[in-house]
Amino acid sequence: MRKEIIVVGGGASGLAAALAAKKEGRDVLLIEREDRLGGILNQCIHNGFGLQVFKEEYTGPEYADKYIQEFLQSDIPYYLDTTVTNVDKLDDGFEITFSSTKTGMKKIQADALIMSTGCYERTRGSIIMPGDRPYGVITAGSAQRYLNIDGYMVGKNVFILGSGDIGLIMARRMHLEGANVLGVAELMPYSNGLTRNIVQCLNDFDIPLFLSHTVTQVNANKNQRLESIIIQQVDKSFKPIEGTEKKFEVDTLLLSIGLIPDITLLDNLEVEKDNRTKSVKINQSYQTSVPGIFICGNSLQVHDLVDNVSLESERAGKCASKYVLSKKIERKTVNIIAGNNLLFVTPHYIDFASEAKNVVFQFRSKTKIAKSMLKISQKDNEIKSKRINYVVPAEMESISIPLEEFNDLDDVVLDLEVL
Amino acid sequence: MSKSFICIVCPVGCHIDVDDNGNITGNRCKRGLEYVKTELTAPKRIITTTAKTIFKDIPRVSVKTDIAVPKELIYKIMDEINATVIDKPMKIGDVLIENVLDTGANIILTKSCQIQGVV
Amino acid sequence: MYDYVVIGAGIVGSFIARELSKYDLKALVVEKENDVANVQTLANSAILHSGHNPKPNTLKSRLCLLGNKMYNDVEKELNIQILRSGAFVVAHGESEEKQLAELVETTKQNNVTEYELLSYEEAVKTEPNLAKSVTQVLSLPTTGVIYPWEVAFACMENAIVNGVEFRKNAEVTNLIKDSGTFKITINDKDIVESKYVINATGVNTDDIAEMLEKHVDFKITPRKGEYFVLDKRVKGFVNHVLYPLPTNKGKGVLLTPQVHGNILVGPDSKFVDDKYRTDNTNSGLGYVKENASLLADNIPFNQIIRSFAGIRATSTKEDFIIEESKEIKGLYHTAGIDSPGLTAAPAIAEYLVNEIMMVQDKYDTSKDFDPIRKKLPEFHSLPEEKQRELIKQDSRYANIICKCEKITEKEIVDAINGPLGSNSIKGIKKRTRAGAGLCQGGYCEEKVYKLIARETNSSPLDIVYDSQKSNLFVSETKVKK
Repeated sequence: MRKEIIVVGGGASGLAAALAAKKEGRDVLLIEREDRLGGILNQCIHNGFGLQVFKEEYTGPEYADKYIQEFLQSDIPYYLDTTVTNVDKLDDGFEITFSSTKTGMKKIQADALIMSTGCYERTRGSIIMPGDRPYGVITAGSAQRYLNIDGYMVGKNVFILGSGDIGLIMARRMHLEGANVLGVAELMPYSNGLTRNIVQCLNDFDIPLFLSHTVTQVNANKNQRLESIIIQQVDKSFKPIEGTEKKFEVDTLLLSIGLIPDITLLDNLEVEKDNRTKSVKINQSYQTSVPGIFICGNSLQVHDLVDNVSLESERAGKCASKYVLSKKIERKTVNIIAGNNLLFVTPHYIDFASEAKNVVFQFRSKTKIAKSMLKISQKDNEIKSKRINYVVPAEMESISIPLEEFNDLDDVVLDLEVL
Repeated sequence: MSKSFICIVCPVGCHIDVDDNGNITGNRCKRGLEYVKTELTAPKRIITTTAKTIFKDIPRVSVKTDIAVPKELIYKIMDEINATVIDKPMKIGDVLIENVLDTGANIILTKSCQIQGVV
Repeated sequence: MYDYVVIGAGIVGSFIARELSKYDLKALVVEKENDVANVQTLANSAILHSGHNPKPNTLKSRLCLLGNKMYNDVEKELNIQILRSGAFVVAHGESEEKQLAELVETTKQNNVTEYELLSYEEAVKTEPNLAKSVTQVLSLPTTGVIYPWEVAFACMENAIVNGVEFRKNAEVTNLIKDSGTFKITINDKDIVESKYVINATGVNTDDIAEMLEKHVDFKITPRKGEYFVLDKRVKGFVNHVLYPLPTNKGKGVLLTPQVHGNILVGPDSKFVDDKYRTDNTNSGLGYVKENASLLADNIPFNQIIRSFAGIRATSTKEDFIIEESKEIKGLYHTAGIDSPGLTAAPAIAEYLVNEIMMVQDKYDTSKDFDPIRKKLPEFHSLPEEKQRELIKQDSRYANIICKCEKITEKEIVDAINGPLGSNSIKGIKKRTRAGAGLCQGGYCEEKVYKLIARETNSSPLDIVYDSQKSNLFVSETKVKK
């Protein structure tokens, strides 16, 4: 069996990418590992989604439903409860191995592949957190699933490490479900979540936020359950300051310490990686260094707004469709470089042979800047400058510039200058 | 009594203070002023939570208030929702509790629950 | 009345159980934890040492060498995985080379016949990331790596199949000897009687001894070691076990390739007061990082997926203590089993059973003993043809539960229901590796708990992470207070 495009993942990204490709007339198949479409939106029952795409405020499941209904009407074939286990490169495309109880192990070929595989949560293992290793130290996303979908509380007395949006949202959810949420600690001197979440999730319920603090000790009880934690203030180099210890008796520590794009499916292929986004490099058409493999959504870069995931994935779906028709792989590229004050920027290079005639830059700043000037330049040639106020790392910024404004010789540099 | 707020109307996030005499300072625009006035007199929030069902495959279904409700009623409305059990298939947008606690707000489903498998 | 009660189901207790199962006798193994291999066997370097290092003419020297060889049969009979990686002991510069020469002498005295001194240039050919500061290497090709939990499970499973009884969550709270019979109190409740008792309780061997002996002549002085685990994507970063020169504190910080492709970095070595406190510290992990870089250059520390600590049951005596109690006839100790205890474990069991307890003189050999432990398929490592065959037999092999390690529903169900089945998240992880990968269970824990609930017909509220009281959930939502 062969398809023009296979989309891996049926969350916000996969749905939008598949719909876009279908609208371009492509023969698409979508594969989802869970038993339902919608991905992580299913457990994000809070509101604040859709203001950009639908000009209306929805909860996660409502936002997902909009896309799911359209997807179901589009008659795009899809598999649920199905895991893609391998991707092989062929001379003229890819062969994908997938597996499910219903289908058994199957192989299918495709001209192009869209990776909409989302991200996974950083766990305690990836940071050094001194102390015991009891049960009760759980990623916020796992706790959110248990709470909102399965209906179980992971603890009674809760502390949260990391002020990312999931952490803040979970503070409110656990509180409203009757848990005692004692506080949120954030290593940075500013929150990593949206301001509205600080206000509506913490301030509304008098849950304290400890900025420039981290957990420096984890203690277990006899039954290997979390019993208490100690948090400490940190200095500018993030070293704990002696004498600032505060002890909290909690049975649960939720971790909201970051999300990492899930690109493990590309392990066997030689895809160029980006250490900053912890994903792969792409050109302006969301194509990776392996022609025919496209990537979008949280598997490309972790977003703060689902609307941006949908819009980005739509563009990727269109680009993949054009690629399938032309199969152009001649490369005439220049690099895009994240300059001053930028944490990262995507895409990573401009391909002048690509049919994507606009370059949508998406980036995050390294720090909070009240007044800044974004400058996009090639050598001494300034292509665009734009004033941006109140840039924070928690909010991804974007700017779109026509391809024709760039020359095909010099690296493109993005700088964010403090004014 | 003096109070401070972070305005959430736009991404700027002004820190706005209100002193004992009701003087409001720190806002950079009118919308901030309006925000703080509402917060001072009648703060309202949309509640999003889950409701219990009798369905094994969907033990909880997400719900919300269809309009913002007075902040001080959050806990009472949570109690109302927690005391309700969905015992028949319902669709996204369907009303679970009408005019909850006379607020004029309905509790509506934000997700369909139509899968078989009754406990 | 049992003939033998073995207290403790770590790797030593498990090998002893299997050794006893070769005879016509009634034996019981009691374990205080909710699983086999849950304390010292859970957290260690997983190495089959060649035997180069122990002080010559000790039990450690003799049983390490013998144990290493015995693992060849263990591998065949119990179908366990051994990575025969070989090891390099590295020296930096002249003075360390002198120490390395001394180590060669010890190696010879310990009757390790396979060894070779290599120059940096020779060594780097098979170990490309070897630290450039290394000048000479002692190669020890018989060194290997095992998956310690798997070995313990395999032994205990085989012992159970051959008639040994096993009780988990059974803590010995009192031990007396009354008119020639041992009375063993379990969980302050049941009393079990036995002719002989074997104390294989690792860090608790002195506590158990003290229940009966007036003057216990050894004491456990626990030594903690901290480790990092690197994701299996680093597979091939090191090919051999890399040791620094040994010091009086032990073998030092090592780099160890693991059976499943991960790399273990550590341990440090600190004497601690608390036998149960396996916490990580900044200083311990910092020490590990610093010292590991003497072995290899550019260690991919950005691939850390976990840190942990283990306790070694070091005793006040230098050597292993494998003997009949000097005060109480019929009570046997296997104490002070620190490194190279994992390597020596099969030899310790044989030595205890045949040379100390002389079981062969007291009981007939069992005619029914089956030395073979069938291994259930590790689905993801099989060739595709075989995978398709298995899926045809049971479609649950096509349902991937742990995405990172590619563990299937059927493997998890088998781990729940097997002869040594487990109903805890950690037990399933130890048996199948579900949750041991990059996302550390973030994706599959939810699926695993539901499978355990389904298979054991229990409520999710009763599912535990590890011990019987480590419930995943404290309550349902929406319940009236």
